[in-house]
Amino acid sequence: MPKTFLIDTTRCTACRGCQLACKEWHDLPANETKQTGSHQNPPDLNPNNLKIVRFREHLDKDGVVVWNFFPDQCRHCLEPPCKGQADTSVEGAMIQDEKTGAVLATEKTAQLSEEDAQSVIEACPYNIPRLDKKTKRLTKCDMCFDRVSAGMQPICVKTCPTGTMAFGEREDMLNMARNRLETVLKEFPKAFLADYKDVNVIYLLAEEKEHYYEYAAS
Amino acid sequence: MKSTRRSFLKGVGAGVFCLTLGQLGFDLGEAKAYAGSLKIEGAKEVISVCPFCSVCCQVIAYVRDGKLVSTEGDPDFPVNEGALCAKGAALYSMYTNDHRLKKPMYRAPNSDKWVEKDWDWTLKQIARRVKDARDKDMILKNGKGQTVNRLESIFWMGTSHASNEECAVIHQALRGLGVVHMDHQARV
Repeated sequence: MPKTFLIDTTRCTACRGCQLACKEWHDLPANETKQTGSHQNPPDLNPNNLKIVRFREHLDKDGVVVWNFFPDQCRHCLEPPCKGQADTSVEGAMIQDEKTGAVLATEKTAQLSEEDAQSVIEACPYNIPRLDKKTKRLTKCDMCFDRVSAGMQPICVKTCPTGTMAFGEREDMLNMARNRLETVLKEFPKAFLADYKDVNVIYLLAEEKEHYYEYAAS
Repeated sequence: MKSTRRSFLKGVGAGVFCLTLGQLGFDLGEAKAYAGSLKIEGAKEVISVCPFCSVCCQVIAYVRDGKLVSTEGDPDFPVNEGALCAKGAALYSMYTNDHRLKKPMYRAPNSDKWVEKDWDWTLKQIARRVKDARDKDMILKNGKGQTVNRLESIFWMGTSHASNEECAVIHQALRGLGVVHMDHQARV
């Protein structure tokens, strides 16, 4: 059984500890960004940000603002379409670790032609991989594979101060997800576990995915 | 090696329970190579405290050969239980950032340039200016003629990490000068 994340967005306060911790662990530099009128910063995933917290707001039926936070990252799919696509051009560019289920973009992704790299990006139902123009490699969350291999938690999970994120054996996480959903449903009747049968990063969303991000669920 | 379902079952039947994934044709080398070595492996763990707010989350600083290599929350500390916010999570960058100040910097009135100064000069300047400001601006009585002994032209910026005892000393010193505006960095 692979490892699984549970990300309960109803607990997220968008402190962005996970986003920063990810940058620090992976030694990724800062981005130069502009004020765009949103707290979402940087505006999208990029080779320097393998994880970002997305912000989206809307008015509910009573005219009250609902502000949703979505800590976006690779879902480490049980059957990753990115790997399937990459295998057709460069074997070993995208790999899946059998023990943890981690889907990894290796240095061989640099051997993908620009077109093939684009196909891999487009194969992802969650719009995750990004092409690093300098190294020509595809970049994305690697489940902190070095940490997990050493028996540690991914740094985003370790850092989360609100209990939004959990990480462990898939079976345990599924149980935790079901229990948590039961509780959350009392307050948010539309809550659901996004694509939980297909992915190792399970999001608990309080309402339709459109109120979080187009690619929050497939 | 080619492995059909039939030969696999035969293998199990023959008591080969410890058939590894490698034998089934998965290349385990790639994932292993990806993991590489853990950057904190063999580093000394030094307990420190996040400097940003008064929650005082404890952090583990990983030090190798006298150099900081990584920081993360201390799971054994009951206040933060290993967690950190965005500011605390970025402590390593605070240490490595080239914007970090290591020496006193001075910008003269109306100048647009910062100049490096030594501590001796800086402390003397501070003492001089506090004295001058106080001599000039001290308010002894208010409009109604009541004694107030107030100095409104100096603001004290402290730190949320000052202990109770330090706060008492700072407070007494500033009240002694008549300073009434005091705050600390976690609120700005």
